[in-house]
Amino acid sequence: MANLLIAARNLARNRRRALAALLMVAVGVIALVLADGFIQWVFWGMREGTIQSELGHIQVMRPGYLHAGAANPYAYILPENSPQRSEIESAPGVKLVAPRLAVTGLISHGETTVAFVAVGVDPKKQKEAELSQAVRIVEGRNLNDAAAKEVVLGRGLARNLDVKPGDTVALLATASGGGINAAEMKVAGVFVSPNQAFDDSALNLPISQAQSLLRVSGAHVWLILLNETDRTDDFLAQFRSRFPASAHKLEFVPWYQQADFYNKTVALFSQQMNVLRLIIGFIIVLSISNMLVMNVLERTGEIGTLLAIGFKRKKILQMFAIEGLLLGLVGASMGLIVGYGLAELISSIGIPMPPPPGMEEGYTGKIRITLNVMVTAFLIAFITTALAGLYPAWKASRLQIINALRHNI
Amino acid sequence: MKHNQRYGDDIAVNCTQPELVPDSENAVESVPIIVEVRSVDKEYYLGKQSVNALLNISLIIHKGEFMALAGPSGSGKSTLLNLIGCIDTPTSGSILIEGLDISGKTPDELADLRLNTLGFVFQTFNLLPVLSAWENVEYPLLQQRDVDKKTRQDRVRHYLNMVGLEPYAHHRPNELSGGQRQRVAIARALATRPSIILADEPTANLDHKTGEGILRLMKDINQNEGTTFVFSTHDARVMEMAGRVIKLADGQLVV
Repeated sequence: MANLLIAARNLARNRRRALAALLMVAVGVIALVLADGFIQWVFWGMREGTIQSELGHIQVMRPGYLHAGAANPYAYILPENSPQRSEIESAPGVKLVAPRLAVTGLISHGETTVAFVAVGVDPKKQKEAELSQAVRIVEGRNLNDAAAKEVVLGRGLARNLDVKPGDTVALLATASGGGINAAEMKVAGVFVSPNQAFDDSALNLPISQAQSLLRVSGAHVWLILLNETDRTDDFLAQFRSRFPASAHKLEFVPWYQQADFYNKTVALFSQQMNVLRLIIGFIIVLSISNMLVMNVLERTGEIGTLLAIGFKRKKILQMFAIEGLLLGLVGASMGLIVGYGLAELISSIGIPMPPPPGMEEGYTGKIRITLNVMVTAFLIAFITTALAGLYPAWKASRLQIINALRHNI
Repeated sequence: MKHNQRYGDDIAVNCTQPELVPDSENAVESVPIIVEVRSVDKEYYLGKQSVNALLNISLIIHKGEFMALAGPSGSGKSTLLNLIGCIDTPTSGSILIEGLDISGKTPDELADLRLNTLGFVFQTFNLLPVLSAWENVEYPLLQQRDVDKKTRQDRVRHYLNMVGLEPYAHHRPNELSGGQRQRVAIARALATRPSIILADEPTANLDHKTGEGILRLMKDINQNEGTTFVFSTHDARVMEMAGRVIKLADGQLVV
C-alpha cells in the first residue's frame, strides 16, 4: 500500500505525462469495449435470429434424418401425438415445441414454375409467432388458420413468380408411396428472413396442408424453443438422458450444430477482434514504455541515490514496475467506466447499418456489453501496461550507481 | 564558488600539515580499524583516454575518526570516497570494511553493506522530492527487515530531533532550505545506525554559515555518538574542524 502511494506520488510529479499515459490506456480500453461490444451484439442478433426464425434451440428428429432425410423423407416421420412430445413441452424452461414438416417440390404461377423448399408450420399455435420473430412479413399477412389453403412466400420466390398476396399458386410434390400430388393455394403474404438465399426458394404453409400434400401425418422435426439460449446445453443433456436414442428413437440436435453461417461468422469476427486486440496491445506497450523510459531517465539521479544508500536492484525494479501497474489499473478502470457509458449512449441512439451480405434489410446496430467484454478489455490494457513498465524498470535497476549519481548535479 | 575553491586550497596546505602528524601517530593505536584501503589503483576511461584517478593509495580509518579528504577537484578524493562507499570498484588493490574484503561481493551483498554499515551524505542532498522529511529518513529503514515499526518511528523521531528538524517532519524537500535539507540527509544517513558516514562535499552547496552549522552538527554527533565521519572537501574552514586531514593531489596522497 505504501509502495502504491509512493508510486502514485511519483507519477503525479509529471502530471501532463501521467494524464497522457492514462488517456492512452483508457482510449485503448474504450476502443476494445466498443469494438468487442458491437461484435458481441452482431453475434447475439444473428444467433437469436437464426434460432427464432429457423432452428429453434433444440431440434428433435428421428436418428439419421439430417443425413438421409432429404433422400427419403417418409422414413423419418415423427408421430402426430406422442407422449415424449407432451413431456418435453411441459418441462419448465421450455417455451414451446413446434412441429415442422419439410416439403420440397415445384411451385407454379401462370407460365412460371420453380422449385421450392417449404416448411409446414402450425399457425394456430399462437406461440408459433415467436418462432418467426426474425421472419418479417413485408406484404399481406402471416398464416393464421391451420385449415386454410394458403402460403406465405419468401420475397425472392414471390418476385420470381411475380405474385402478390391474393394470387393463387399451384404446389406440386412427390407424396408418400411415390405418386405426385398437387394443391392450389392462395398467397397470404410475403416475408423476408435474415438469409436472402433462403428467401429465394422458401415458403411456409400450414402443417395440415403440408401433411395432405405429402399424404402423411406427423412431422419431421419438433423445434424446441427455450426461455434462455444460454441454457441450451443443460436442456440438451437433460433430454438426451431422459430419452435415450436406443429406446425412444429420438435424436436431439442443438441449434449451433446446424448454424453453419453463424459459426463461421463468429470464427471470422473473433479472429478480426483478436487482431484488433493485438494492435491496441502493441500501441499501449510502445507508447507507455516510451513514457516510462522518460520517467526513469528523469529520475536517474534518484535511482543512483537509492542504490547508494543500500536499496537492492530488485527493489528499484519493483518500484518502477509498480508505477506501470498503477497506470494500467487506473487507466483501464477509467476506460471501462467511460467505455460503458459510451456504449449505453451509442446503443440508445443506434448505429445505422447497411444490409449485411446475404440479407435484404439494413438494421440498427447496438453495443452489447457483456461481463466477458469488460473483463477482456480490462485485462488486455492492464497486462500490456504492466508489461510495458517492466523494461524501463529493468533498465532503472541496472543503472551504474556512479554514473547515475552524477545526474544529481 | 571558484573563488572559494582557490581560497580553501591555499589554506589547506598551511593549516593541516602540522596537525596531521601527531594525530595519526599517537592517538589511535588501540582503537579498532573500520576501513582499510590497501594499495588501491583506480583507472577509468574518458572516451579512449585512460585516466589514473587513484595511484597506489593505502589508508587506514579508525573507529570514531572525524576525517577530511582534501584536495582540488580532480585530485581523486571523490573517487576514493566512492570506493570506500562500495559504489565503485578499484582497478587493483583491496578495500576492507570492518575487516571484510569487499572485492568479489555480489551487488546485493554490497547493497546490504551500504544499507547497514555505511551512511551517505551528498553534496546535492539527494532527498526524494516526493517524500516528506520524515519519510525520507524512514525510507532506508524500511529496507532493513529486522527493524520493527515502533523502533523505526522512534528512530526517525530521534534523529530528526537530533538535527533539529522535528517541526518540519512533514515538509517536502522543496519546502526546506538547503541547510535543512542537508540536515534531513544527515538524519537519513544516521537512522540506519551505520558505523561510518561518508560525506562527499557536504557543505559545497551551502553558504559558509550554514555549512559551518552542518559541520558542527556532524562533529557533535561524532563526539556524542561515536559515529565515524569521512568527508571530502576543498574548503579550508571545513578542514580546520577535521580531526585528521588526508590530502590528495593527482590521485596520490600528499604527505
